[in-house]
Amino acid sequence: MSSGKIFDGMPVLAFQRETDRRNFLRWAGRVGVGAGFVLGGALVTTPLATAATDPTQGSSGGDGDLSILNYALTLEYLEAEFYKQGLAANLLSGRELDLVTPIEDHEQQHVKAITATVTKLGGTPVAKPMIKFPDGTFGSRDKFLQTASTFEELGVVAYHGQVPNIKSGDVLGAAASIAGVESRHAAILASLTGGKPFPSPIEDHKPMSFVLDQVKPFISS
Amino acid sequence: MLQRDFVQGRVASVPAPMALDALNYRWELAAAADFGSDVDVLNYALTLEYLEATFYELGNAKNLLSGQEQTYLTQVQKDEEAHVAAITATVKKLGGTPVSKPMVNFGNAFASRDSYLTTSFTFENVGVGAYLGAAGFIKNKDVLQAAAGIFGVEARHAAIVGSLLGKPAEGGVYMGAFETPKTKAEVLKAVTPFLASQMGAMPSGGVNTGGGSTAGVEDKGLLAVGGAALLGAAGTAAYVASRRSASEADES
Repeated sequence: MSSGKIFDGMPVLAFQRETDRRNFLRWAGRVGVGAGFVLGGALVTTPLATAATDPTQGSSGGDGDLSILNYALTLEYLEAEFYKQGLAANLLSGRELDLVTPIEDHEQQHVKAITATVTKLGGTPVAKPMIKFPDGTFGSRDKFLQTASTFEELGVVAYHGQVPNIKSGDVLGAAASIAGVESRHAAILASLTGGKPFPSPIEDHKPMSFVLDQVKPFISS
Repeated sequence: MLQRDFVQGRVASVPAPMALDALNYRWELAAAADFGSDVDVLNYALTLEYLEATFYELGNAKNLLSGQEQTYLTQVQKDEEAHVAAITATVKKLGGTPVSKPMVNFGNAFASRDSYLTTSFTFENVGVGAYLGAAGFIKNKDVLQAAAGIFGVEARHAAIVGSLLGKPAEGGVYMGAFETPKTKAEVLKAVTPFLASQMGAMPSGGVNTGGGSTAGVEDKGLLAVGGAALLGAAGTAAYVASRRSASEADES
């Protein structure tokens, strides 16, 4: 991908609730590189500033695991929808179809499991965002699988980026059990697209800000 | 389970306790007594990584593969060697003593391309479960980050080897929507055949108290250290007892 970004840097989602959008922007602004994100999506300036001064949204408060789970849930919603649309486009056949079909089911199960976990912890699961992938994402087998490969690698670094931040052992276990499956997806998609299934002996990890810079919200949200 | 079952890949259809129980997912922490410290967890992982690295070093040297399969398995070997190096360095950094490389016996695993990949498939999936089962014991966040990072790569290996073998996508390449943790006891059942075959042949003397210092132990005895580290709190007593009696028998 020439831009080096999934979806060529195009916005893909819109939040149904203002709180969800503000949370998303808060995650995106973390770790000191929020400015880059703001440049990429100029819409966010005001909400970001608001969040930064909102004591109920403190970034280091006890809501840490819930924030991480809702962040993961947002990504899983995106992934589930991505495979739903991609498979519906009937671009694959044979062994490739066999290998990609379970991925949609996995992502949907991740959505359910994370939603249940957030609820169990007393939090409010992020509502499913409205999602629109750029035209052409499902225009060909190659584009679908290349995007999927990039998406899965992004998911892997997203989960691993949160490993040291998760406080609850149970949440860590659940997140890790999902992350391992994303690694399997990433390896298979790399092999299907001529990429490297084993790009590094230890999975890379990235902060929320890096990840969310790649899955931008629509201005219309 | 017989070692040859494991080696020849009949394991997938074999014993319930060591089947990769993915469809009955549950998150469980291993018994609290399994690991007393991060060094314990790391030495447990290191023994598994030594087994894996040695397995691929021997297997790849047999020239059973070609083309993309060879390319993939060559990288898998490099990954496992990197894991050994990384974990060894981490144990030292934490002030611990890394376990030494265990002696291994892979039986007929390298008889053919199929047996090689089938054994690899089992190994990788056991590795995935082992890391997930032990992760909850890790206290140091940097260690946890690295262990999780290794865990993910083992999952990649497992998926690709499953794919090379033409395994079903679900229940072969993927093991469900969630990885399944394996307790130390489960992992032991899977890998002990490779270690246990050595135990009977161990020289008397040397290690008799588990996974502590390796100083002064000659190479043939080092297995005891690796084995004991794996066996850990639960298994060491029985193992040491059997060694002690064997040793006494030798001396009498």
